[in-house]
Amino acid sequence: MKLRLPFSRRHLSCRQVGRLVQGYLDGETDEETAAKVAAHLEDCKRCGLDAQTYREIKAALARNAPGDLDESVGRLREFGESLTGDQGADA
Amino acid sequence: MLRVARSITRNNHDAEDLVQETLLRAYRSIDRFDGRHPRAWLLTILRNAEINRHRRRRPELLRDPDDAQREPAAGGAPSAEATALEGAFDADVEAAFQQLSPEFRSVVELVDMAGLSYAEAAELLEIPQGTVMSRLHRARGRIREQLSTTRPHAGSAG
Repeated sequence: MKLRLPFSRRHLSCRQVGRLVQGYLDGETDEETAAKVAAHLEDCKRCGLDAQTYREIKAALARNAPGDLDESVGRLREFGESLTGDQGADA
Repeated sequence: MLRVARSITRNNHDAEDLVQETLLRAYRSIDRFDGRHPRAWLLTILRNAEINRHRRRRPELLRDPDDAQREPAAGGAPSAEATALEGAFDADVEAAFQQLSPEFRSVVELVDMAGLSYAEAAELLEIPQGTVMSRLHRARGRIREQLSTTRPHAGSAG
């Protein structure tokens, strides 16, 4: 279920964008709302900076995620292939 | 899936076991899968496998914060100023993240680190989607507040 505005408005206020911006960055707003938020972020420097801050925080959190899972992935892939009789080997 | 398991179990070995168990269960019950929403289906199996692992103890999605023995944020020495700046920013974000309450940390881990949608995180944590959203947004707001005390211009880290 995507976040959407309770009513249709051509332009959003900074307050509305403040409530929507994180969902927008997470891809959790519907298309129409996303387009309106994006338009506001283009025009409003303050909200644009706000969005940029959250974007950087999200990116840093993703980079901080434990990254040493490659060996586990390899073993699990082998396990999956053993379950399906190597059918996925060429996929 | 491995990242989700990692955020639940908090160590790589248990995470791998949990995903293996999930794959096995999925393989055995593939006949009952209707082909729709495979991610949600697998996450449900994973959650059930985790609950079973702890024999009806409440799912340990929200562990003691002191258990979080996380790896260093970035490996290797920074080779350029930009990398150093990014590394310092990441370290500040990590420090702020560690100060969050377990409830807030778990949604950040599932959405920002494991890449789940709000709906998937809600299903896994057995809380309403609105609660995922409000916790996540408040958690990031707190990280941001924390950053503003360590770096006055948190919006221009790069």
